[in-house]
Order: sequence, then C-alpha cells, then structure tokens
Amino acid sequence: MNTRRRHGPRSNEDGVYLGPSLTQPQLLQQPDAPLSTSLPLAPPVDLGGGSCRDRTTEFQSVCRSLQGRQNGLQTNKPALSAVRQRSDFTLVAKRIGRDLSNTFAKLEKLTILAKRKSLFDDKATEIDELTYIVKQDINSLNKQIAQLQELVRSRSGQNGRHLQTHSNTVVVSLQSKLAAMSNDFKSVLEVRTENLKQQHSRREQFSQAPTHYSPNAASPLQAHNFNPGNSLLMQDESRSPGDVSIDMDSRASQQMQLVNEQNSYIQSRADTMQNIETTIVELGSIFQQLAHMVKEQEEVVQRIDHNVEDAHFNVEAAHTEILKYFQSVSGNRWLLIKIFLILMVFFIVFVVFLA
Amino acid sequence: MAASVREKQTAALKRMLNLNAPLLKNTASEPVWKVLVYDRFGQDIISPLLSVKELRDMGVTLHLLLHSDRDPIPDVPAVYFVMPTEENIDRICQDLRNQLYEAYYLNFISAISRSKLEDIASAALSANAVTQITKVFDQYLNFITLEDDMFILCNQNKESISYHAINKPDIMDTDMEIIMDTIVDSLFCFFVTLGAVPIIRCPRGNAAEMVAVKLDKKLRENLRDARNSLFTGDNMGSGQFSFQRPLFVLVDRNLDLATPLHHTWTYQALIHDVLDFHLNRVNIEEASSTEASPAGARPKKKNKRCYDLTSADKFWQKHKGSPFPEVAESVQEELDTYRAQEDEVKRLKSIMGLEGEDEGAISMLSDNTAKLTSAVSSLPELLEKKRLIDLHTNVATAVLDHIKSRKLDVYFEYEEKLMSKSTLDKSLLDIISDPDAGTPEDKMRLFLIFYITAQMPPSEADVEQYKKALLDAGCDLSPLNYIKQWKAFTKMAAAPANYGNSGVKPMGLFSRVMNTGSQFVMEGVKNLVLKQHNLPVTRILDNLMEIKSNPETDDYRYFDPKMLRGSESSIPRNKNPFQEAIVFVVGGGNYIEYQNLVDYTKARQGKRIFYGCSELFNAGQFLKQLSQLGQK
Repeated sequence: MNTRRRHGPRSNEDGVYLGPSLTQPQLLQQPDAPLSTSLPLAPPVDLGGGSCRDRTTEFQSVCRSLQGRQNGLQTNKPALSAVRQRSDFTLVAKRIGRDLSNTFAKLEKLTILAKRKSLFDDKATEIDELTYIVKQDINSLNKQIAQLQELVRSRSGQNGRHLQTHSNTVVVSLQSKLAAMSNDFKSVLEVRTENLKQQHSRREQFSQAPTHYSPNAASPLQAHNFNPGNSLLMQDESRSPGDVSIDMDSRASQQMQLVNEQNSYIQSRADTMQNIETTIVELGSIFQQLAHMVKEQEEVVQRIDHNVEDAHFNVEAAHTEILKYFQSVSGNRWLLIKIFLILMVFFIVFVVFLA
Repeated sequence: MAASVREKQTAALKRMLNLNAPLLKNTASEPVWKVLVYDRFGQDIISPLLSVKELRDMGVTLHLLLHSDRDPIPDVPAVYFVMPTEENIDRICQDLRNQLYEAYYLNFISAISRSKLEDIASAALSANAVTQITKVFDQYLNFITLEDDMFILCNQNKESISYHAINKPDIMDTDMEIIMDTIVDSLFCFFVTLGAVPIIRCPRGNAAEMVAVKLDKKLRENLRDARNSLFTGDNMGSGQFSFQRPLFVLVDRNLDLATPLHHTWTYQALIHDVLDFHLNRVNIEEASSTEASPAGARPKKKNKRCYDLTSADKFWQKHKGSPFPEVAESVQEELDTYRAQEDEVKRLKSIMGLEGEDEGAISMLSDNTAKLTSAVSSLPELLEKKRLIDLHTNVATAVLDHIKSRKLDVYFEYEEKLMSKSTLDKSLLDIISDPDAGTPEDKMRLFLIFYITAQMPPSEADVEQYKKALLDAGCDLSPLNYIKQWKAFTKMAAAPANYGNSGVKPMGLFSRVMNTGSQFVMEGVKNLVLKQHNLPVTRILDNLMEIKSNPETDDYRYFDPKMLRGSESSIPRNKNPFQEAIVFVVGGGNYIEYQNLVDYTKARQGKRIFYGCSELFNAGQFLKQLSQLGQK
C-alpha cells in the first residue's frame, strides 16, 4: 500500500530509499552536528579492531532520557521478565552444543598425545582411555542428535514455517560438526597406527641386538601378526637341548620372560588396532547418516539471493501454464455456439408453450 | 593495506555475524544460532562475499528479507543488516512490537542519524523491549566488493546515480546534491573499511570535482574530531604496513566515452558484454526444445542456468583476463587433465578388485588402503573440478555462439585500429551495411567510437551517408545527438583522448587448424593477439602515481584531508611515487578498464591498484542511457 507522502523522504516502488524529504534538508548535516557538539552523548571510540562504530551506549542513553520524559505522563508498564521461557528444543540444542565443544577439547588433547613419537614415553594407557572416552562421546552425541531430530519431526505440525527451517538447520549443523569431529578423530587414529608401526619397527631394530646370539629366539620378533602358539613352540625349542648349562637355562628363562613381554605387548597392539578398525567402521555409519541429511538440504554452493531466481522461474512457468489454459478455454468456440443454440431452443419452447 | 578490500569487508561481516564480538580462532567454542535479516542493499553486499555454507558455519540458520513475512522465533537472537531508511526503521519497530525474536543486534550499513535512533528507542520503549536490543552498530559497509580489488557503489537503485542521472540537461541542483551525497557516503564507508586516509586528485570542472570536494570535507571533519575519529586506534595499526598513504584518483566518465562502447576480447569483459552477468553471477538461457504451443505462450522453452564465478574458482581467477582463444584452449587442457585423473581412479579400483583375490602380503594391502583412502578423499575434489570445467565449458560455448553470430572479432579488430589511429583496411560503411555482421547495437557502437575518436569531425555529407546506412540497418540514432553535444563540449577542453599505440595481429586460421582436437571449433573466428596498450584512465593514473609531468594531469586539483588548513593549493606536496592507488570513475565503469588496470599493475612490481565505479554497465546498457540523453 503506497500511502501518499507529500513531504516525507522519497522512495520508489520497492520502498527503497532515494533521498531525504525535501522539507528537511538539515537532516543530512545532523549526523555530524550531534557527534561534534554534544560531546557528553557521543560514544567512545570502540572499534574492536574493525571499522564500525558502537552506538549501543548512545541508544541506551536515548532510551533512558525518553523514559524519563514518559514517566511523568504514563504509568509504568511492567517490564518484561528478562528470563524468557526457552523451548525444549533450544535447551537440548544448547546442551548438545556444549557437549560437542567439550568433546572437541578432548580430541585436541588426544591429537597432541598421539603425535608424540618417543619410544619410551609412550602413554599407551592414557591414549587408549582417551580414545575410548572420545568414542563413547561421539556415539552418545550421535544418539542425542538423532533424538533431537525426532523431536523436530514430531513438532513439525505446530511450528511455523520459519521455526521449522530453523530447527532443521540447527540439527543439520550439529550433525555436520559431529562429522567434522569424527573425521578428525579418524585421522588421529590413523596417525596413531602409523606411529605404532614405526615404534614397533624401531623397537625391533633395537631389541634385535641383545638376542642376536641366540638364534632360536630371534624369529619370534620378526613376524608381525602373532599368535601365542608360535611362542610356545619357540619355548619348547629352546628347552629341547635338554642338559644345557644353567647359563643357557637362565638365558632361556630370560628369553622366555622377554618373549612373554613381547607377546603381551604385541597382543595389546593387536587389540588396539582392532579397536581402531571397529571405530572406523562406526564412524563410517555416522558419515552415511550425515550424507543423507546433507543431500536433503543441498545448500553447499548457493548464495542468499538464489531463491529469488527460483521463484521467478516458477512464476514464469505458472504464467505459461495459465496462458495455455486460457487459450484452450477461449478456443472452444463450438462449445459456446452449442450452448447458445440450446438456450435459444429452450427459450422458444417456453415462449411457445406459455403464450 | 596488506589485506584486500574484499578480505576486510568479509572480516567485518563475519565479526558482525559473530554478534559483534571479535572472531576467535578457537573452533571448540559453543555454537550460537542466530537469524540474519537484511534488506536488498544488505543482500547485494553479502551475496558476492559469503555463500550460504559459510553463513551456516557462522551459525546463521535462517536468512530473510526485512520486508517479507516473518514468523516469530522466540528464543533466537536476530542480526539485522539494513540501511537506515524510514521504511526499514518502521519495519524494525513493527518487529519489536510483535516480539519476533529474543534479542536484536542492529547493524546499519551506513551511519544512522540521531532522530532515527530516537524513533527506534521510542518504539522499543512502547513495546517494552529495550533490554532486548542488545547492540546497535554502524557498520560503514555501504559498497559492494566484486573482486579483490574492484568495488561498485550500489546495485539496487543505480538509476539514481547513473551516468544518465548525472549528465541529464535538466538536472536540478538539489538532485545533484543528493546524488553527490550518496556517492560520498559510500566512498567514505570504503575508506573507513580500508582504514586509510588518501590523498585525493581530481580533474577540474565536472562531477568528479564536486565529489572530491565533499569527500575531502567529510574526511576532514571526521579526522578533526579526535575522540570520534574512525581512523585512529587499532584501525591504523593492524593492516597498515606501508607508511605511505594511498592515492585516490577521481575521474569522470566524460573523460573517455569510447571505452564503454568498445567490443572486447578478454574473458570476463566478454561475459559481461554478451551474457547477463551481475554481482559475479552469470545467467545463461539455453533454448532447448521447440514444441508446438498454443498462441500466446512462449514459443520456446528456455532453460535458465545460473552460475557463480567466485574467487574460489582457480580457473576463473587465472583466466578472467585472458583473451578468449586462450581460455578455450585452457578449458580443453583442464578437461584432459581431469580425464587422466578420473582414469587413474578407475584403474585403482580395478587393481583393488584383482588383488583382493590374492593372498597378498599385508603391507601391500595397507598400501592399497592408503591409496584408496586418498583416492576416496580426493573424489570430492575431482567432482568439484568437473563441475567447474562444465561451468566454464557452458559459459565459453555461450560466449562463442554470440561471437560467431555477431562477428564480434571483426568489430574488435576494427575498433582497436580506430582507437589507435592506425590504417584501416576496410571502410566503415562496408561494415555497417554488412547485414550479418552483428546487431544494430554493435553497428551503432562502432560508429560512435569512430565519431568519438576521429581527430577531425567528419563532414556533413559523410555523416549523412553513415546515418542512412545506420538507419537501414535498424539502428536508433538518438545516442548520436548526445555524442555530438558531448564532443562539442569537450573540444573546448583538452585535446581528445589519445588511446595509445596498439597493434592487433591476427594470427590467422593456421594455428587453429593445428588444434584439431579442440572442442571449440573456432573456424572463421580470427585468433587475435592483444598487445599492451593503455586506456586514458590508466594513463592518467600512471602520470599521477609516478608524479610525471603531463599537460593532461598537471591541472588536477589536490586535496589532503589530513592537512590542517584549507585545500585551495593545487601544488602536490608529495614528491615520491605512490605505492597504492584507488581509481574511481564517477558515472560508471566497466570491466575493460578494470582489466587494463590489472594488466598495468602486473607490469609493475609492488603497486596495488583498486578500481571502483558508481555503477557497472555493459555497452548495451550504456547505449540505452546515451539514447535517453540524446532524446532530450
């Protein structure tokens, strides 16, 4: 509705500002005047490293002065309570967001730990614990987000259109953050496996030397994949030269101990690697869910003025359809003639019979 | 000015979206969801800079136009990015009354006046929403950045500050004042964002001088007010590694009317000239099927495709200034590399299939796993590359179709010869009367360039002959009236602009025949090689930046807003050549000038040049404005 404006600011059809009103030319100079003359009200320079100006304090002082003026005239309306009722959706979303950031912090710690390459200071237990915790967190976050999505779907009836879009976008964004984090987690695990392999090969290099003069026990340290059966075989072999000296025996027992140690060590390594594999598989499922979600949204390279074009295109298509229909309707001349004839016949019959 | 204008504007927008808190590098912070509300000005500013995905990363879940119907979302803060006009303020007050959002962060694109601030305050009071308005900011972002070093003023109501509006004969003083104020406001915002106070040079006696005077005054007043100056504090220290101030050259469109009409040969300028290209988005109509349709409906179903040409597109960044045949070749090369990579991925798949049957050693498997993971992770990259190649193939094909149907290469060659005053091998009359060389607009453009660049005006008889030929071809002659007036006017001023030397060598068809595998069969299109030449704007910039003495630019006025006293002296104080410059054309500019400036910058190390104009038009739009002017 274009109300007639005689002396207001000028604008074109879209309500776009074209210039100030002709009767108030001094408004243009006003921005300069209050800033330079009324110094007490001017805002302090608050750039924050940028190129903008904060007018919040000025705004608040204006509000206070206006309120003071109004207080004398009207009764005070009760101020709105500052604590507003937040919907469950927002509360749950906020909680998930917080958990996400916590897990992310843990993941960063894990990254730092896993990148260490020292041979002896290997905090295997810590790393394993952290890995386990992070994995649990990711799983629980996944479940929470799935629940949130259910909540959104169930509420879709009563929500407004924008609220629904907002909720969906929040869910998608949480999922994509979770996916990014899972990706990082996966790469950390890969780094860890690499380091494990390297450590293993270096350890093997270093511990090759002491067992060099007992060729029997040399072989257990060479195979990668290991099963306990092998080591037992070795132990039997080392005991088979029966009446050996005590030295050999002690050395053999030493080696057995060594072998046992190696065995459990390698066992733990195998377990870790198996854990990593299962984790990667689970992450894969999360990725798949997310890909499905993202496909539904499809907004990766759009720009914000894209919808306008779509709407325009649809309107054009609709226009074409309507024109076609119009043509078809107006083209049915024969139909009109037939109807006209029938009406004339009825009219004549009426007139003849009644007259 | 280490960061480009685009980066600064993007950083300012991101800070605004971060609820006006400085951005932390920490990605582990909790996400805050918000709604972005903008008007059409804000939309134009944001859309070339931030894609929807980037908005989502910043936590924006919904982006809406201010004047649309918006539902209440009661527990989410809203960031407003609007111009401080009456309608927008009214709508904001209405939103406050309807209590649509939880908190309001109001960011105004240019400075809001005190009275409008009071309007909002009173509306907030009556709606009891004062505590909800968390922040009010003046963002000073009233310009649109299209490239790293190119900006335009506005897109929405550019008719009000177009060439036509500035130069029409019946313009009133008040109108002129308003136009000048709009331009100065945007330029002021530009310098605030850039964080530097320039030294201003402008020619005398036209709109550019008026703009320079006003801008100087505004900058001076702002600097004078030491407490509130926008140019002190962190702003100066952060991006500013050069201690020199930039040079700001203001020129008027009337200096050089031939360049906007020129037919061009570089990729970006061609797209702008021939296709529908604005705000870095190309719209191509592909006529698909011709079906028998009832009368009144559209005869052909046209598919509209739109593509975004962004800074992330490496091929575009590399080739937007290249001549068109080079672009065609490069697209072909890219396609070949892509096919090679695709084949490798397929080969890997087949290898994996074979090896799975073997009981291969574990190390071999892990190696293949690693290869496969890398192949899988590089798949998105490959897909993206394919999309870009498709995009450029389509765009280049569309441009090529236009070139072939309108014989634009002939025009280009001829105009280059005209502008460099070398000998012409074909007469103008031949080209104009040739029925299949181009649309009437093209012929009009050619004739206007001929008229503008002629040293002596052609005789009346000649002009009549040309006019007849043009009328036969179906051209509209009103631009010619205006150009005649303009020419008479500028003859009183300096000598007509010299367009520098340029040689155009057609490379002939032989090299084309050698590229038989090329998808772009450019038979009949000459392969023209551009030689370096300087347009008038570039020459003026060169003179001013290098402090050369030249009769053309010696008469330019000199403004330094940092000087304490008046600016009447025209003697430049600065004797050193400038390292940075900003060229602004009042009345409109185009990509040809921009490309010329970019080429000039490439030839010189260590100089940075920004190009700006009040609006961006291609030759067709400019011709329309000229005809409007000629009809008066």
